[in-house]
Amino acid sequence: MKYTEVRELLEALCGKGGVSGNEDDAAAFACGLLSKYMPASTDALGSVTGRKGEGSGIILDAHIDRIGMIVTAVKDDGFIKVAKVGGTDSRVITGAKVTIHGKEDLFGIVTSTPPHLAKKDSDAKAPSFDEIFIDTGLGKKAKDIVSPGDRITLNGSFLSLLGSRIASPCVDDRAGVAAILRCLQLLEGKSTCPIEVIFSAQEETGGSGAEAGVYNFASGTAIAVDVTFASAPGVSSEKYGSLGDGALVGIAPSLDYNMSKELLALAHKHGISAKPEVMGGRTGTNCDEIQTLRGGIKTALISIPIRNMHTCVEVCELADIEAAAELMAQYILERSGENA
Amino acid sequence: MLELVKELCSLPGISGREDKVREYIISKIDGFCEYSTDNLGNLIAFKKGKMPAKNKVLIDSHMDEVGFIVTGITSEGLLKFANVGGIDTGVFLGRNVTVGEKGIPGVVGLVPVHLVDKDKEDCIPPKDELYIDIGAKDRDEALEHVSPGDEVCFESDFREFGSGFICSKAIDNRAGCAIMIDLIRSELDYDCCFSFSVQEEIGTRGAQASAFSINPDYAIITETTTAADLSGVEGEERVCVCGEGPAVSFMDRATVYNKDLYRRALEIAREKGIKAQTKTRVAGGNDAGAIHKSRGGVKVLTLSVPTRYLHSPGCVCRYDDIESTRDLVKEMAAEFAVC
Repeated sequence: MKYTEVRELLEALCGKGGVSGNEDDAAAFACGLLSKYMPASTDALGSVTGRKGEGSGIILDAHIDRIGMIVTAVKDDGFIKVAKVGGTDSRVITGAKVTIHGKEDLFGIVTSTPPHLAKKDSDAKAPSFDEIFIDTGLGKKAKDIVSPGDRITLNGSFLSLLGSRIASPCVDDRAGVAAILRCLQLLEGKSTCPIEVIFSAQEETGGSGAEAGVYNFASGTAIAVDVTFASAPGVSSEKYGSLGDGALVGIAPSLDYNMSKELLALAHKHGISAKPEVMGGRTGTNCDEIQTLRGGIKTALISIPIRNMHTCVEVCELADIEAAAELMAQYILERSGENA
Repeated sequence: MLELVKELCSLPGISGREDKVREYIISKIDGFCEYSTDNLGNLIAFKKGKMPAKNKVLIDSHMDEVGFIVTGITSEGLLKFANVGGIDTGVFLGRNVTVGEKGIPGVVGLVPVHLVDKDKEDCIPPKDELYIDIGAKDRDEALEHVSPGDEVCFESDFREFGSGFICSKAIDNRAGCAIMIDLIRSELDYDCCFSFSVQEEIGTRGAQASAFSINPDYAIITETTTAADLSGVEGEERVCVCGEGPAVSFMDRATVYNKDLYRRALEIAREKGIKAQTKTRVAGGNDAGAIHKSRGGVKVLTLSVPTRYLHSPGCVCRYDDIESTRDLVKEMAAEFAVC
């Protein structure tokens, strides 16, 4: 099986919870993995941060939080009301199997409207988050375990598709976390410039984690790794990358153009699959927060293309994560050489 | 019987592709009855009771489940598909499925919500825009693993949860199959016929043929039916309620039931201390629709396990309702055998 390291990292990371603002178990797990390479801890907002070396070097960012839902009320009959956290897609919610992270983890299923009660256009319109309930099968006893504020993750399995493609919930952005950890693995035993790593909290709810976490770093250069759209029916291959394209290097007015060009040149030089991904303004990633921190940080974006973003079946190609890891490693080695 | 339900629900068996379900059932009933498979694939069994029956009684459950069938493969290696049976699109967007006899894993893909026009964000995409992604790079790679005509099932993911509930695909109607297997393996007072029928979900086609062959006087259809006992749904709109035993039908969209049989079922349930309830809406339909007009007519009774979220990857019912349904089916079969 190819890309064993990346597969193992991603599968383990995707198995964790970590809905925005409550990244605890995912953050603790990622912190453990990062500690193999550098001292790491969790900061005030729940982001995992680590630093290897003193002084200015490079910042690597990926977000550890995932989209989901939050309990807003437990009704007297035990059915649970929710709101979405981040851009959870209402079209895939009906009948979804979920885990409610209450006093204990609890299985639940999102109710669907029986045919005789459905509005005429129910097959055309998805319910809003206000209209749905979660059924725990516990009746009134649900109140003993579930409270408002508890986070809810959408269930899904880590599915091995053909070749080295996989489908799973929260590939966004555990793929980025896996890429950074793989990059650090590739750099093991090599002398590098200082590396500062953040697995940021709360990206899906606006980027607070990166904004607060990177503030404490010393470097003036950053690479964020996130996911982007992969071509599929209805998603143009001219406008977006495709599965198997490798690392997609962002080019945008808000990104450092020289870094983008250098990353693409390095990919070419070392035979790493990569393609440019051009955006017209900001990027919709943590780069937007990181760029303007303190007196400004030169920021680059590496994206991993996925299909079905913000569903339980985000499909990615493991080779693309490996390419992102290799490209970051080469960039760091190049910088380290210059500094030496 | 819980183990039977679990194993049956986990088997793939869309309409017309019930083979694996039938093989499993045969492995469980072999030695307990006489059985044969007819031209359509119905598994017809005859179980001798302690006494001969005055009337010929048939118990029927369908083996098939709703799902999909691969209709074609795009140049990108994605599978186009058609529904087999009635399924709302909303319940399978972004879900895991298995394709073909080998059970190749795949997912139902859709355009990410970020790229959908603002006014379409809550619109369920039309079926012809959907596809199944098995990770193939192109059509040739896909064709190495799947072909048009391959069956597609929801991923099997059986679980017990809550207070005595189970959640799985295909509870409709493997619950009924489990009940019939359990009855065949138990001792019956009177002779009884059983039909594990095919193709219910595309219009009760199997039962039409098996009822003709069996030629019963009475038939008990063992099914699942909508339980709408959800938050904010009151009274008869709930159709039936989980935990209150089998739902007894007086009428649905395919059958007007024999009134005496309907009343008798509720009476006997009360006499024997078995939970049972009236199905309070005229909705749905099942094999009774085909069986009641077989040959010169058959008196029919439907007893259904109340089930939430029918025809979805996560049907939900209570295990004790399956047990109550079995108990009442057994009582009614004995009742009809000698009435």
